[in-house]
Amino acid sequence: MTVKVRFFARFRELLGTDILAEPGKGAAISTLVRDIAQEKKEGYDAIFDEHGNFREFVIVMQNGKRVETADAGKTVIADGDEIAVFPPVAGG
Amino acid sequence: MISIQHEDVDIGKLINDAKSSGTGAVVIFDGVVRDDDIREMELEAYEEVALKELKKIAEDATTLHNLLHVDIIHRIGRLSVGENILIIVVSAGHRPEAYAGSRYIIEEIKKGVPIWKKELTKDGGRWVPGDHAHGSGKPT
Repeated sequence: MTVKVRFFARFRELLGTDILAEPGKGAAISTLVRDIAQEKKEGYDAIFDEHGNFREFVIVMQNGKRVETADAGKTVIADGDEIAVFPPVAGG
Repeated sequence: MISIQHEDVDIGKLINDAKSSGTGAVVIFDGVVRDDDIREMELEAYEEVALKELKKIAEDATTLHNLLHVDIIHRIGRLSVGENILIIVVSAGHRPEAYAGSRYIIEEIKKGVPIWKKELTKDGGRWVPGDHAHGSGKPT
């Protein structure tokens, strides 16, 4: 299956965006994002803490809906999903 | 009009278009690029999601504050000092509703709409931290 991962703001600068990935069936969001982020240490460190958990301020969306980062380890990805990962917002 | 766009807008026209026979007050919020020793500001949005959230905020503001008309235009891309970033135009029958509705909209945008700002300085750039430490509160 193919999914798209989008990083925004500082995370985009560190890791790129609109990354197409082919995770295995039953893969969780956190596994997918971790695998991609691990390619660049600075990007990984911006998103994950020393235990490999999402940092508290990181926001994750699956198809435009927010997913609690604490649940991202058990939230399964489906074919065609769009996963977005971004830092705190600052619009307005 | 609810929009995320690069182009500026004609605020005077928005004000005229916000008026109807029941209008007693129009409130305009105009967020502007401030000169904090920067060259420019770069704005980025998760556009599809941000637009949906702006529409939801406009609907909620209309219901909660009896608004007659709402425009929210959030600009993205590179903006210079003094340029408009965010224009909110609301109209209502009376000023308390118009002021409250405008305030509600800007506060909700700052809480959770996925838009980011980077201040471009002579030394590089810095991402502006959000007003809300955790960015967006609980999932909705």
